[in-house]
Amino acid sequence: MKVEELKAGQEIRYSGKLIVMRDQAQKRLKELLEKRKKLPVNLEGQIVFYAGPARTPQGKPMGAIGPTTSARMDDYLEILFELGVIATVGKGKRSRKANEACKKWKRVYFVTPSGTAAALSKRVKNARVLAFEDLGPEAVYEIEVEGFPLVVAIDSEGNSIFKE
Amino acid sequence: MIRAHTVLEKVKKAIVEANVKINEEVREILEKYEGPFSDIIKENYRISKEENLPLCQDTGMVEFFVLLGHEIRLEEPIERTLNRAVEEVYTEYPFRCSVVSDPLFDRINTETNTPTVVHLFQVEGKRLEIRFLVKGGGSENLTMLRMLTPTSGLERIKEIVEEHIRENGAKACPPLHVGVGIGGSADKAVLLSKLALTRSFGERNEDPRYAELERELENELNLLGIGFQGLGKGITVYSVHVEHFPTHIATLPVAVSVDCYLCRKGKVVVEG
Repeated sequence: MKVEELKAGQEIRYSGKLIVMRDQAQKRLKELLEKRKKLPVNLEGQIVFYAGPARTPQGKPMGAIGPTTSARMDDYLEILFELGVIATVGKGKRSRKANEACKKWKRVYFVTPSGTAAALSKRVKNARVLAFEDLGPEAVYEIEVEGFPLVVAIDSEGNSIFKE
Repeated sequence: MIRAHTVLEKVKKAIVEANVKINEEVREILEKYEGPFSDIIKENYRISKEENLPLCQDTGMVEFFVLLGHEIRLEEPIERTLNRAVEEVYTEYPFRCSVVSDPLFDRINTETNTPTVVHLFQVEGKRLEIRFLVKGGGSENLTMLRMLTPTSGLERIKEIVEEHIRENGAKACPPLHVGVGIGGSADKAVLLSKLALTRSFGERNEDPRYAELERELENELNLLGIGFQGLGKGITVYSVHVEHFPTHIATLPVAVSVDCYLCRKGKVVVEG
């Protein structure tokens, strides 16, 4: 499946890797880039999931997890695309700038159901911290998911499911 | 005297319940929803209940509204008890601690989800009533305050509430519970809008004019068509509640607070 072929409104189930990253981690990545330092993660070909999981219960791969508001991270979207990210996953409508960035880079934005963290955690097969462990729930994780529910919210043509 | 332990245990139980058990009023509406993601939404509350997992990963910053009877004596300041309750729940259960120590300079996670926010109101009698909201960052970020001119009137209020939800409603996990606070001072209006969220969906304002405003706003906001998850299917708001308070001749504060589709809240009563 190529992300360019997806159309706004399409519902899919995704199995594979997601890189979990939110506000603080993206701010740090930007700072590292500005200082021309080496990044602790390789984002080439990855899908970034805007989320901050709850604590992991003993014996489980992952605690409750779900999307956070994507619009807050619109300022970092171009940076992610430059680093090779092919799609982002979160919740809610984004700014016009995000639609334009998706169109320009031929990338997509998915929404996944919010407030359904217990059900989503069941679809996470394993998880590990990749970077910024000190940020706690805001650290960068790599998770592997199976049958993760996604709806294409902005497609690679810049079409959005949200009303203007 | 009311023992701190008594309050602590009751509040702890209520906070856990609010986080893992679906609000009954909400469940009735979710059961009927059949749009996108409806299967996951329904699966979610079954799993949370079975496995004691939080309904949402954002287990919030807990905000308390304490109605303290004037004849009551407490073993310790109520704020201390409530902070202990939050700390114990959020470290014992697999909940997310989301509170940072300083808003600007040191955004370091306190790892206890405290300090919590406590509003204390003294009332008549021997009863201690503690209401609380478990609000995630997404819904809290939609809080709005507008200082209107005193002659702005009803239509302007409806307009700004609609504008606000139209622009931002999709960000806070709709369908939303909307609280509107009108009057008082700036801070009082915000507080009233939050108190409005502690009410049940069917509970109308005692003043028929405000009750009518609640109904009108409910209808009009639902016409926006934002829908569940902002995807255009199903209702946009569950209910709108308005709280009002006298105000200064030169002011007309209007505040809006929203609760996400889970409406996580609770109420604990201890008789003194």
